[in-house]
Amino acid sequence: MSTLHVLSHSPFGDDRLTSCLRVIGANDALLLTGDAAYALQKGTAPFEALNARAPKLFVLAEDAQARALPVPDTAKAIDYPAFVELSVHYDKVNSWL
Amino acid sequence: MAAVSLIESVMKFAIALFSAAHAPSSRRALLFAQAALAGGHEIVRLFFYQDGIYNASASVVTPQDEQDLPRQWRTFVTEHQLDGVVCIAAALRRGVLNEEEAGRYQREAVAVGAPWELSGLGQLHDAVQDADRLICFGGA
Amino acid sequence: MAKSLLIISRQAPWSGPSAREALDIVLAGGAFDLPIGLLFLDDGVFQLAAKQDAKALQQKDLSANLQALPMFGVEDLFVCGDSAAVRGLDPNGLSLEEAQVLAADEITALIDRYDQVITL
Repeated sequence: MSTLHVLSHSPFGDDRLTSCLRVIGANDALLLTGDAAYALQKGTAPFEALNARAPKLFVLAEDAQARALPVPDTAKAIDYPAFVELSVHYDKVNSWL
Repeated sequence: MAAVSLIESVMKFAIALFSAAHAPSSRRALLFAQAALAGGHEIVRLFFYQDGIYNASASVVTPQDEQDLPRQWRTFVTEHQLDGVVCIAAALRRGVLNEEEAGRYQREAVAVGAPWELSGLGQLHDAVQDADRLICFGGA
Repeated sequence: MAKSLLIISRQAPWSGPSAREALDIVLAGGAFDLPIGLLFLDDGVFQLAAKQDAKALQQKDLSANLQALPMFGVEDLFVCGDSAAVRGLDPNGLSLEEAQVLAADEITALIDRYDQVITL
């Protein structure tokens, strides 16, 4: 079984990213949407935490673009059709509301 | 990312929305839903819970220079004849009543009507059982 | 065969309606005889702190509903041990004795076991 975890909160002052990275599995993936994209901000603790855990990483392209966040080689920027495809590819979606 | 298979299976989606119309996740939910249909998939139900019920409100007045999510949801559901369900308990406590409930509770404002149906959490569970995938949007 | 649903409850009991509305989803599922699991994670573990007094806040006491879960056929109850520990709660002194204390890797496996999941 594989899970696509989806985050939408800023990782600063919020523990969803930390908790997600604690329970994310080897076959899982992580999609950053909305303010969760700020985890891609270089030189920050959330960015280091992402690199340390190194999950299969995706970000909604519109959210990285709007925030002028660079998309690292370790992440793939996707659009909505690709988001739908991801939700099909993974066995279930766990949105951290 | 895995190679896309030539024959893509049609999936049945249940989409649950937990945040209000002005939340960015509500817009994402609509865009996802549109992409799901455009991708040839099926949406078995849209279920609005917690603040998500506000997306069904006919009383929301959106500033002209902003996206009118409630109107866009209404158009989307009507155009594709989707099953749009609003959790009745969540709607009542937030003051979004349809004609029947407004009459029952003697409230003046009727804030929700067609195509939205007010119903219970059983409809969410029903959709979860019926669908291949459940996607929740909400929070921020 | 019915699809199983895991509810992950992450909010403290009175931080808003989330704790109660998560529980409502669980109870509704139990009432329909569906395979439902409930995991308390992060601030959600505060829902299980002992000796709470909801009346002091004129709030509904959730613990009565929590204790009723097995009666609704919901017996798959879990709590994140780490979440409890960092919040100063004794994982073995929580108000829901039936809740199984899990470590992080066990939670990974738990999520894997369910067909669907809602985290609120």
